[in-house]
Amino acid sequence: MREFALSADRLSVKRGGLLALRDVSFDVRAGEVFALLGGNGAGKSTTLLSFLGLLKPEAGEARVLGRPAHEDVTASRRQIAYLPEAATLYPHLSAEENIAYFLSLAGLRRDKTAISAALERVALQPAARTQRMERYSKGMRQKVAIALALLREAPILLLDEPTSGLDPIAIDDFNALIEDLARSGSTVLMVTHDVYGACQVASRIGLLRAGELVGVFDAPVGGRIDTDAVHAAFAGRTAA
Amino acid sequence: MSLVLRLFRELRFLLRQRAVAGLLVLAMLLSALSVTTGLAEIAHQRMTLERMILADKADRDGALAKAEDWGSAAYSSFHLTYLPPSDLAFAAMGQRDASPWKHRIHMLALEGQIHAADTANPELALAGRIDFAFIVSVLAPLLVILLLHDLRAGERAAGRHDLLIATAGQSGRLWPIRASALIATLAVCLLLPFWVGAALAGTQLAKVLAVSLLVCIHLLFWAAVSYWAGARAAAGSVILTGLIGFWLLLTAILPAITRVSIERAISIPAGGDIVLTQREAVNDAWDLPKNVTMEAFGARHPEWENYTQVSRPFEWKWYYAFQQVGDQTAEALSTTYREGIRERDQAAALAAFSSPPALVDRALQGLAGTDTRAALAYDASVRDFHTRLRTWYYPKLFRDEPFEPAALSALPVYQPRDERD
Repeated sequence: MREFALSADRLSVKRGGLLALRDVSFDVRAGEVFALLGGNGAGKSTTLLSFLGLLKPEAGEARVLGRPAHEDVTASRRQIAYLPEAATLYPHLSAEENIAYFLSLAGLRRDKTAISAALERVALQPAARTQRMERYSKGMRQKVAIALALLREAPILLLDEPTSGLDPIAIDDFNALIEDLARSGSTVLMVTHDVYGACQVASRIGLLRAGELVGVFDAPVGGRIDTDAVHAAFAGRTAA
Repeated sequence: MSLVLRLFRELRFLLRQRAVAGLLVLAMLLSALSVTTGLAEIAHQRMTLERMILADKADRDGALAKAEDWGSAAYSSFHLTYLPPSDLAFAAMGQRDASPWKHRIHMLALEGQIHAADTANPELALAGRIDFAFIVSVLAPLLVILLLHDLRAGERAAGRHDLLIATAGQSGRLWPIRASALIATLAVCLLLPFWVGAALAGTQLAKVLAVSLLVCIHLLFWAAVSYWAGARAAAGSVILTGLIGFWLLLTAILPAITRVSIERAISIPAGGDIVLTQREAVNDAWDLPKNVTMEAFGARHPEWENYTQVSRPFEWKWYYAFQQVGDQTAEALSTTYREGIRERDQAAALAAFSSPPALVDRALQGLAGTDTRAALAYDASVRDFHTRLRTWYYPKLFRDEPFEPAALSALPVYQPRDERD
């Protein structure tokens, strides 16, 4: 059990009175990049929120490092850096101030050099770092949120539509960053509806449809998952 | 990270939000304005009293110097009675706006003199004053609601809620600390001007502490309500509407219903009726046979029964007897009036438990000695003093003692009671 960083075990979750996840099971190994693919309302974000202990399972379990997420949410969340969809940090603070505040919220302290290094890593222009984020583009905001996730130095990253709103170059940079993180031992669970992007970085892809996991695609050794096969399954043209 | 450090972190963070900083500045300005106007009003009242005390003595000395007998001395000499403001009155003006706190009375029938007195600013009795008690009891809850209603809903709408919780580890490490930082700062913003005002007014430390505690408890009540409502998974506007409705219910609707119910349940005569009854009795006495008046007087004051013979067309003892009989005629109405006021006040005290703002307002007035109890105590002190005047003059008038101007220096002098006696 301990070798899996994240496990969904027959996980069923209700949202707004409706079953948003139905009997979903999958595991994410430590150091793996696992992408959950699906259309709107497929249950992707619900899965992430279940691992964060923000949603209580109706049945089954969402486990973080072998322990049910809702059993000790503080301990579970300490292991996770979460990047929400459309990460809106505080617009009245600068990137550096936002990062310092959120790190302090997590009980962490990082010096200015470390914060600058993280912002450098996500390629945020130095001139923008001290400006209020209200002037940032969506891509710039996303970069700051990614830098925050990196600075958390948590072993697990949960990313909700991380490339949404990024330009193609920023997406390539982001994918490279994710691969780099996976190589250094981080576990990444990202949810997306970007088939191409998921195939670029994920070693495995789970396909969600209407709250059910309808298929899992594995990357061949040393290669990438076949985009066409995933796309066909995503579009419902073939069985997953 | 310790709790205090977390509080300061949240405070630093929150104060950078313009809306939050604006509301806190507004709270401090409103409090400062109320304290400043309260201090100015009390200073004005004290100056008025100082001026009146000197003028009253000079006027009385002048009148007594011209007096030719005991009756004219009693008739022409007025005596100032007053309720001095307490060291906390600047914060809660209470009944000082609605009930008179100074009278100039003389030996004539008292009821007319008491009820004919105007308050200094009767329009304020209707509209109410923006004093510190009003800020704390009525406006402070509104500020709490505005600060806390979207504590979570705002973050939810901005898409930060889940990130904040996931980062903090658990919601208990964020929302209570944010709410506490806001409420503690609001309390300081409201209390700081009050503390300065209290220092300038020389307010007793115990009263300052009691008011501070009261303010904090009231803010905590509204913070708890707002925090609970803010935890609902609803839009900030929905939560705000609900909380404003609750505030309106507790600060305006319930007190209004309570007041109307109490006034309907406990009816009291109008002050004007008391004055009219007494004055009609006094005026009628001029036309009545003198023995009718003196018998009515003697029945109530048997100690003077043997001195009630009136042989001349006008005698001061007859004149003062019918003044007293005038008071006696209005006595039942006057007693009903005062008992009614007391009963209404007691009922309002009980009813205030359904409205924390009303309870806080009453408590502040109680501490400041500006409540109905203080107004009734002052009324009683005026009556006591008037009785002392009668007790001093009656032996001289009824025994027809020779006039001795020097004896007038022993006239009773009004001493204001301590406001909580």
